[in-house]
Amino acid sequence: MIPTPDLIDLLAARLTPVRRLRGPMTRAAQWLLLASMVTVMLVVAHGVRLDFWQCLLDQSFVVGTAASVGTGIGAALAAFLLSLPDRSRRWALLPLPPLAVWLSMIGYQCLSNWVAFDPDGLRWGEAARCFSTLVMVSLPLALTILVMLRHSAPLRPALATLMAGLSVSAITATVLSLIHNPDASIMVLAWNLGTVAAIIGASSTIGRRFMGLAFARG
Amino acid sequence: MPPSSTHHSPVLSVVEASLTAPRVPDVDWSILMARAQGGDAVAYRRLLEEIAPYVRSLAAKWCREPDQVEEIVQDTLLTIHAIRQTYDPARPFGPWLAAITRRRMADQLRRNGLRRQREAPLTREHETFPSTQANNPEDAPERRALGLAINQLPLGQRQAIELLKLREMSLKEAAVTTGMSITALKAQPTAG
Repeated sequence: MIPTPDLIDLLAARLTPVRRLRGPMTRAAQWLLLASMVTVMLVVAHGVRLDFWQCLLDQSFVVGTAASVGTGIGAALAAFLLSLPDRSRRWALLPLPPLAVWLSMIGYQCLSNWVAFDPDGLRWGEAARCFSTLVMVSLPLALTILVMLRHSAPLRPALATLMAGLSVSAITATVLSLIHNPDASIMVLAWNLGTVAAIIGASSTIGRRFMGLAFARG
Repeated sequence: MPPSSTHHSPVLSVVEASLTAPRVPDVDWSILMARAQGGDAVAYRRLLEEIAPYVRSLAAKWCREPDQVEEIVQDTLLTIHAIRQTYDPARPFGPWLAAITRRRMADQLRRNGLRRQREAPLTREHETFPSTQANNPEDAPERRALGLAINQLPLGQRQAIELLKLREMSLKEAAVTTGMSITALKAQPTAG
């Protein structure tokens, strides 16, 4: 360990100007705008599900979709707030009310049809197609939000990453519910929260190295 | 009625409290940090020099080991350097700094817990085995007596014993070192 005055000399010598981060609400809004663009692009490319207009008359579909959107927005806000050192941990409670509503209406159809047998033989089932759409939506959103939250690594990485994963899950589930008949929420949650668990596990083992990288860049 | 000497007025209590609590020049630090974000190295050095004692006093409340307190101080300074772009000068500096210090103190306590689980303190027996020479205290008197006896030998014999027996050199190596012939070396320990 070097003496603290020497460390201060070193840090002052390595100081470079930095661009101040925008407020957490602004940054959350920027990311949610990106998520909206991904949603619109996918709906335009794929088309809405065949029974979409009927679904709008179904109260449980409307409430479930509103709850997943609310979870996505609440978790994104919580992730950006928790990535700052001086904000309360209680922001993690923000997405819980809509999450409770969303989970109470969740379905599991997409977990049950991975391959299909038909007269032409074996082919990928609805679940496999659903999974590929899931990865296509969630991967860019997850990568973007993790890059935007990278400075939280030395602070509250697990909580901020968990909120980010929940937000990506909720938005992906919303997108899939618009273009895809079976309810994919359980598959979406399992994939995204599994990814979050892997990221948290990896960051706890390579956390120091990651921090070292952050210092090197600073 | 004049105020009694035992009852302080609320204003006096506040003044007293402000005198006893460590002073946090929040506005000054906030200004220094804002300048540091713009690349002002002088302001940044002054900020780090001023906050280091404050962080040390916070860490000392949780940790008794001076080395560990200093480790928390340095970890906090490194974290501040890494995430200085997250500070918003519109918000107070004190809570931002205190939150970072708390995170680093929690890390230190976690490290201490892990160290206690994995490591055991060394005892005298542990010190014996990694040593290249046996340091069994019971052997010390004999070793001393042996050293005295060897010192009383004539020069040739002493060299032969030291090189061949104590340093475990070969006859050839000892011959090169002393300049004596191998035959003479062989004869030395038994001579006399």
